[in-house]
Amino acid sequence: MNAWVIVAPLVAATVAIGFRGFAARRVVRIGLAAFAALMPITIAGKVDGLSLVFVVLVSTLGLFATIFSAGTFSADWGTDEVVWSRKHVYFILLSAFWSAMLLVVLADNFATLWLGISATTLATAFLVAFSGEPAALEAAWKYLVLCSAGIAFALLGIVMLAHVSMAAGLDPAHALSWAAIAAHAPAAPPLARLATALMLIGFATKAGLAPMHVWLPDAHSKAPAPISALLSGVLVSCALYAIMRTLQVGAVLGSAPLLQSLLLWLGALSTIVAGTLMLTQTNLKRLLAYSTVEHAGIVALALGFGGPLGLFAALFHVVAHGFAKSAAFFAAGMVQREHGTTELGELRALWAAGPSGRLLLGALTALAGMPPFGIFVGELLLVLAGIAAHAWIPLALGLLGIVLAFAALARSAIEIEAGRPKSTNAGRRMSRLGITATALALSGALLFGIVPWTTLGTTLAAAASAIGGNR
Amino acid sequence: MIELALLITGAIVIVSSRTITALSAYVVLAAAVSALIAPSASASWMTLALFLLATAIKVVLVPAGIVLFMRANPAAGDLRPSLVLPLRLLLVVGFAILAYSAGHFPTLVAIRFGGVAGFVLLCGVGMLIVHRNLISHMIGLLTLGVAISLAGAIFAPELPESFELGATFDALVATFIGLALVRSIVAHNPLLDVESLRSLRG
Repeated sequence: MNAWVIVAPLVAATVAIGFRGFAARRVVRIGLAAFAALMPITIAGKVDGLSLVFVVLVSTLGLFATIFSAGTFSADWGTDEVVWSRKHVYFILLSAFWSAMLLVVLADNFATLWLGISATTLATAFLVAFSGEPAALEAAWKYLVLCSAGIAFALLGIVMLAHVSMAAGLDPAHALSWAAIAAHAPAAPPLARLATALMLIGFATKAGLAPMHVWLPDAHSKAPAPISALLSGVLVSCALYAIMRTLQVGAVLGSAPLLQSLLLWLGALSTIVAGTLMLTQTNLKRLLAYSTVEHAGIVALALGFGGPLGLFAALFHVVAHGFAKSAAFFAAGMVQREHGTTELGELRALWAAGPSGRLLLGALTALAGMPPFGIFVGELLLVLAGIAAHAWIPLALGLLGIVLAFAALARSAIEIEAGRPKSTNAGRRMSRLGITATALALSGALLFGIVPWTTLGTTLAAAASAIGGNR
Repeated sequence: MIELALLITGAIVIVSSRTITALSAYVVLAAAVSALIAPSASASWMTLALFLLATAIKVVLVPAGIVLFMRANPAAGDLRPSLVLPLRLLLVVGFAILAYSAGHFPTLVAIRFGGVAGFVLLCGVGMLIVHRNLISHMIGLLTLGVAISLAGAIFAPELPESFELGATFDALVATFIGLALVRSIVAHNPLLDVESLRSLRG
């Protein structure tokens, strides 16, 4: 059944191509994508809580990205702005990306998880370069080379983990299954520490943690807006999921202290570097991309703090950030379409210009960590987890990064939302589908800040227990 | 003997300034590793088929794709090294010492070829850094894939085809996407110099 859930988005996009007529194909495309997004209901109870949380995140945001794409790019393609034949390629690659991410979060062993992470590169490198502009090609090249090298190191770590598991008596078929490794609790040789550390560094490259983050601002800012939303909101989350699974086996193999130390310092460095560079950004999408590095750093810090609260904070933040960042990139895409630019110096009075400006303000407010959005709760939980862990220096560095990022987002939001209109209106209004997708994503970010803790807490605490949050 | 072959070809990959020389060294390296990890005749037909497929991709298909691209784009023939030859040689010696030392760590000392796999891995990483031609990045990623295949055979001999396939998939993805991107990049950057891919900064 898992296989059907994984291939459903790809099948849906392929089937939609067969329908003739612009309006009919759009309806079918969205309808089938919604069906694919609902497919995971069939596996509820058959996967652990951690996988379930990420499956819901991937499916929901995958659907929103499809709705947004159907509402915006399809219309542009209708006016010959993009070669007509590439429209199908775009939707096939988008759904392949969605399917690859489902493979990552539904895998039950590291070999399949790695294959999924690698497959995301195949789909997204072309999507990052989709516009064909020199800057987009440059971004795609950096993404390909750095992420391929990073995940090669993760594979090397997985190879070593297989050696450790089999030396402990696990049969080859289950040597890379986290459940089997946890159940057998093999002795912890020094090689296990090297294996899990390599895996963490490799997956951290894909998650965009500093200092391996250099590809992320380029790729996430040059991709089409819905792809940027998925890259920042979901793919980074999938890489963080891989880190959580690594932490799960690390706890059993005795390498948790090493992994948590690595995560603390990578997280602190990421928030500081991203917060500082966010202050110097002149482009809205690049600002949002650096914000992703900052939030990946916050999640890494929470995982590094460890304990039930730290793991809960990490999960909470991943989901809240996924929705908020997707909303922000969708809104940035609408602003780009309406005003023809994402340069911060060219954008003014967006609040008065239409719904895209208002939705962008909402998304920037959410990303800055303002209440009542979920990210505020996630950051509050991070502080509590840091205090509980007595990890004062990483906590202080993380908070400094958060303050810098807040300052950068607040300044940019005030600049582009207030003042007199400066940019020339490109004359293209956003489709209702684009506004709907953005509003839905923003609602998700808000929901996580206001839904009673008892409801969310049970689900996320169960998920956190899968990676050792009950210890 | 095979260890020496791996060391020499790994060194040539990084020291050479001509793409065809580095690519030839990579082919020999990949073929030697394939010979080293080849399943026995008693292995299942599935294992043999997967091994043959992976070897054909890494040793024949991928290098042939790069050669065809080089024929169409002569600028791809020069790796454009950032370091002069003596420094590249020094780097290779440094890598060899580092890999030898790592291979003698208590954790790895009992594992045969551990140091050689480490050396090939470092040569792959070095290839990504030392040369400025975009094709050198692809050869570097391919070399990393060979190092992982070797590591798979060393660390998990019970699962060689899994990691061989993983490394091959990575190599195939990197080459397939890489050549597709380079084809587009060459229109803006005929020299394929990585220096021209620095407009996105800060």
